[in-house]
Amino acid sequence: MTHTFTFSYMWLLFAYAFVFIALLLSVWQKLGLEKDILIGTIRSTVQLLAIGYVLHFVFAADSVWFIFVIILMMILVASWNATSRAKHLSGIFWRISLSLGITEIITMGLLVVLGLVSPTPQYLIPMSGMIIGSSMIVTSLFLTHMNREVEASRGEIETLLCLGATTRQAVHVVLKRAVKASMIPTFDTMKTIGLVQLPGMMTGMIVAGASPIEAVRYQILIMLSFSSSAAISAVLISMLSYQLWFTRDSMLHS
Amino acid sequence: MFRDVNASIKEPTIIGILGRSGQGKSTLLRILGRLLHPDAGKVFLEKKEMALWDAKAWRMKISYVAQQAVMLPGSVEDNLRTVSTLHQRPFDKKFASDLMEQLYMEEIDWSKPAAQLSGGEKQRLALVRSLLLQPPVLLLDEVTASLDMKSKQAAERLLVNLHRQTGTTLIWVTHDLEEARVACKRIWFMANHQLAEDAECEAFFHSPQSVEAREFLQDGNVHAALSEVKR
Repeated sequence: MTHTFTFSYMWLLFAYAFVFIALLLSVWQKLGLEKDILIGTIRSTVQLLAIGYVLHFVFAADSVWFIFVIILMMILVASWNATSRAKHLSGIFWRISLSLGITEIITMGLLVVLGLVSPTPQYLIPMSGMIIGSSMIVTSLFLTHMNREVEASRGEIETLLCLGATTRQAVHVVLKRAVKASMIPTFDTMKTIGLVQLPGMMTGMIVAGASPIEAVRYQILIMLSFSSSAAISAVLISMLSYQLWFTRDSMLHS
Repeated sequence: MFRDVNASIKEPTIIGILGRSGQGKSTLLRILGRLLHPDAGKVFLEKKEMALWDAKAWRMKISYVAQQAVMLPGSVEDNLRTVSTLHQRPFDKKFASDLMEQLYMEEIDWSKPAAQLSGGEKQRLALVRSLLLQPPVLLLDEVTASLDMKSKQAAERLLVNLHRQTGTTLIWVTHDLEEARVACKRIWFMANHQLAEDAECEAFFHSPQSVEAREFLQDGNVHAALSEVKR
């Protein structure tokens, strides 16, 4: 027997009981998180309702331009977010945008061309969101690791420069370490998925009434595409950005 | 750090840069090695300003050897092969072995991870690695400071011979007055955050012009005498 819940706004109001629990705990334990909890609750509600209405409209309109605008917006917001990891690197924003854009085009392009995903807004937008979101995390991790690696390996990089290496040669090993470190979480997640956590997309599909087999098929598809998007975005951002750790005349920024 | 450093090198030579700590000797070398930007001023090589040189071409001609030897990942041989790998040159194993031997490193196993070498061995390996680049100008930043007496003398002999045989110019920061007196032809003495003296080596040690230089040499001689007594 299957129970299907229809979510009215009245039902949704009851869900705020969870926030109330968090608030009570924060006050009781004097965590001082009440403001953050309230802001987080309001923002997530407003943002999700807004995107819900936007998607409702876009799905109904079924226009390529709307899909394009939504995906572009996702890329720009993701780039803005990842940029916060490397504010000191001028020009990093457009490099992240370019790498996320190319990753999205290659990954979604392959999914559509191979007939794995129907080229309709219902598929293109959520899957693009997941691919861009996962690539954004990979990019942020790369920038964090690269900052740390360059600082830790300053002597190594300068030694190579002194031996006549180009900036690319001098930073090659460090770059490789940062790229690898940024990709590891994606592949670690792939190893434990289904055992440790049931991913959101699959859970959402099952809750919405799809068969678990159908949900799992889509989840496998998205996980596999994550592996390529992680690799593409990490390699692209490394190639586009490594020069930013150097001055114009190939010295390491102090 | 310093100002008013005006000097030129017209022919291959060995310059010793002397001065008390904090005068900017290492900073000067790092500027010359194109690892640091000067706040003001210009550096010329072969009558062409530094900014007009491709950075790689500059560093192939003027190579900096750091005070703290940094080992690159991998074995001793990987470190020795760095220059040939970077520039796709054939590796001159005989030349490398010869340099290692001159620095009493012939017993070192080349397959040993470079990170496992002792401090002195690392310093000597770093020196050999830079010599394999064969740059016309070598910037040496206290490269013998962490060596024992025997290795130190071997390194000095090797560098002076290199200058004699190949015409390599050495710009050598050292705190060892004896080393400077024996190895160098010219002294740049830095005091009061400027180049206080630029003199022939013998002239500098026999009749220093500035009060600072006289005091510096006096202190140095006292230290040398004390360490001689200890020995």
